[in-house]
Amino acid sequence: MSVVEHTAPTRRRAGLLTTGLALVAGLAVLCLGSLLIGAGEVGPLASLATLLGSQGASDEARFVIGALRGPRTLVGLAVGAALGIAGALLQAVARNPLAEPGLLGVSAGSAFAVAIALVLGASAATLRVPVAQLGALGGCLCVLAASRLGGVGNDPVRLVLAGAVLSGLLGALTSLLLLADQRAADEIRFWIVGSLAGRRLADLQAILPSLAIAGLLTLAIGRPLAALALGERVAVGLGHHPRVVRLLAIGVVALLVGAATAVAGPIAFVGLVVPFAARALTGPDIRRTLWLAVPLGPIVVIAADIVSRLVVAPSELPLGVITALIGAPVLIAVVRARRLPTL
Amino acid sequence: MSPSHDPGSPYRRATLAPRDEAPRVAPPTGTWRLALPGGRAVLVDRRASAANLGLAAVLLIVAWLSLCLGGVPLSPLEAGRALFGHGEPMTVFVVQELRLMRLAAGLATGGAFALAGCLMQTLARNRLATPGIIGIDNGATAFAVASVVGLGVSIAPPAMALAGAATATAITFGLAGGAGTRGYRFIVAGIGVGAVFGALTQLLLARVAIDTANAAYPWTIGSLNARDGEALGVLVVGLALGLVAAQWLTRPLAVLRFSDSVAQGLGIRVRACRYLALGLAVALTALAVAVAGPVGLVALIGPEIARHLSSPRGVPLVGSALAGALVMVAADLAGRLALAPIEVPVGIVTAIVGGPMLLWILLSPAMRRH
Repeated sequence: MSVVEHTAPTRRRAGLLTTGLALVAGLAVLCLGSLLIGAGEVGPLASLATLLGSQGASDEARFVIGALRGPRTLVGLAVGAALGIAGALLQAVARNPLAEPGLLGVSAGSAFAVAIALVLGASAATLRVPVAQLGALGGCLCVLAASRLGGVGNDPVRLVLAGAVLSGLLGALTSLLLLADQRAADEIRFWIVGSLAGRRLADLQAILPSLAIAGLLTLAIGRPLAALALGERVAVGLGHHPRVVRLLAIGVVALLVGAATAVAGPIAFVGLVVPFAARALTGPDIRRTLWLAVPLGPIVVIAADIVSRLVVAPSELPLGVITALIGAPVLIAVVRARRLPTL
Repeated sequence: MSPSHDPGSPYRRATLAPRDEAPRVAPPTGTWRLALPGGRAVLVDRRASAANLGLAAVLLIVAWLSLCLGGVPLSPLEAGRALFGHGEPMTVFVVQELRLMRLAAGLATGGAFALAGCLMQTLARNRLATPGIIGIDNGATAFAVASVVGLGVSIAPPAMALAGAATATAITFGLAGGAGTRGYRFIVAGIGVGAVFGALTQLLLARVAIDTANAAYPWTIGSLNARDGEALGVLVVGLALGLVAAQWLTRPLAVLRFSDSVAQGLGIRVRACRYLALGLAVALTALAVAVAGPVGLVALIGPEIARHLSSPRGVPLVGSALAGALVMVAADLAGRLALAPIEVPVGIVTAIVGGPMLLWILLSPAMRRH
């Protein structure tokens, strides 16, 4: 017994390190691919030459890589990491392997808040991040309230159903607002579908502070969350404050999802796929899941973004379409599992 | 002793009463015994028929309103005269060509969606299992959009919608597999299937020129704006056949709400009834989607209203169809008037009305027991 206790964590930690390194390597390859592959006329070879600093590189190629694909890749990194971590945290708090910010209406709440702000006269550039975060917080609180209502919290699948309904309702209200206000509709038409196209470095800078705060908070609550997974009483016995930890985690989810939505628009299913894959790789510990979500989230988002550029080249698909095609089968697989993994 | 000769037996069937003499037992409380020529008789549920009559009356009023109100407001009398071709040519055109067609599309699609919803709920024994929620609407939409943007005019949208609805149904029920259709897992698997088909629709729309995409746009949101006369004709025929079949199914379905063994014991051919109801639900949904796009929540709201109004004794198939038509026409009217001159698609109106209703069902004490 004592042998197992001693060796198992060390072996798993080594496994975590190699898995993490492999994932980071894969992510690097994907980032390179994201810089080289595109819908436009600058082909992969010309892009590679430009990246390597070749003299003969055209101005067009420099512009495409420096001003279009570069920022887009960086935004993809940030958005993917944010959504992946948010998904893992929300699943831990709701104790539900199906909890996902997009499915449960957190992203929809965020988008709805932005639409309201625009209709009330705000300009898209200035207010978007805090407003989106407030909306995400509202969505999170709805989820928490629903999971507290008798019985729903014990039935993971039912919570998802309630979230999907809330999501649909908020989506319909958003469309209604946009129908009523043509100016707002024009301003966020390319944002509301969820896409990384045309995002600039300034957009990324606007969300970096919240991402940093969220990252620090996540580091702080990783341990208490792991204790909470063993049950409320165990956590209290270990000196943690479950209520505070849960509220902090919800706040972090709101910060992350709001920031990601503010930049890229509502993107569903990333927060479902990433923790699912992370758990499959390293087991159920929430801290490992969170660490692996950092490379896994961007992997999913950037891969989906590359596919979205290629499928209908020279035009592009909304990112949400690709993530839905990846995520919906995962959703079905989780639901069909005889015994849902308990968190 | 045969059940029909036992006056106290709860299993007696009115149709088995001796042919040439008056029935020796009074009909069950809350029902009328309606004698038919040839010595046969049917039991008519008082509350259900009162509910259906009330729904029909309200439907008539709302339908009349939808002929009167709009960009060119008309008095009820004017609208009535224009309906029969009297009055100013402009008014006649507005009422006969625009509003009447729209009203017909609303009535037919609403009735078809809600009838399909009631059938599907009953046979899955799950209040949430309406075609829209378990992905059938999206399947039909994806295939219908494919026929508009991809394959040209070779195959009509209704036929493609049928193929799509059948595919989505097969996938959802196949995935449910041994788990059965009662629980929430079935519903969430259906939501997943719907999400895949929704993404496929977007994919198809992204691949084509903007004009073609615009032509297919109503199918992504649900609107009575772009109804196609031919598809509407197919739907009306389908709905008429469906209502006839529903009459025949009323009795077996009422028993099928209990367990299969009870139904079998009472002489219901369970498997045949199930497949007939399923096929009917899928076909009605597909034909309605081909006219109005995925307005799936009508399939939830309609039966819910009908169940509240009519008696718990039977399955309110006709009542659902009436309530669905009412919801559809009223939602379309509200969408036309609310933000005039902008028109809110009926799919958005029903989503805003149906969403809270769905949440209420999900969180209600009755559902907690499952």
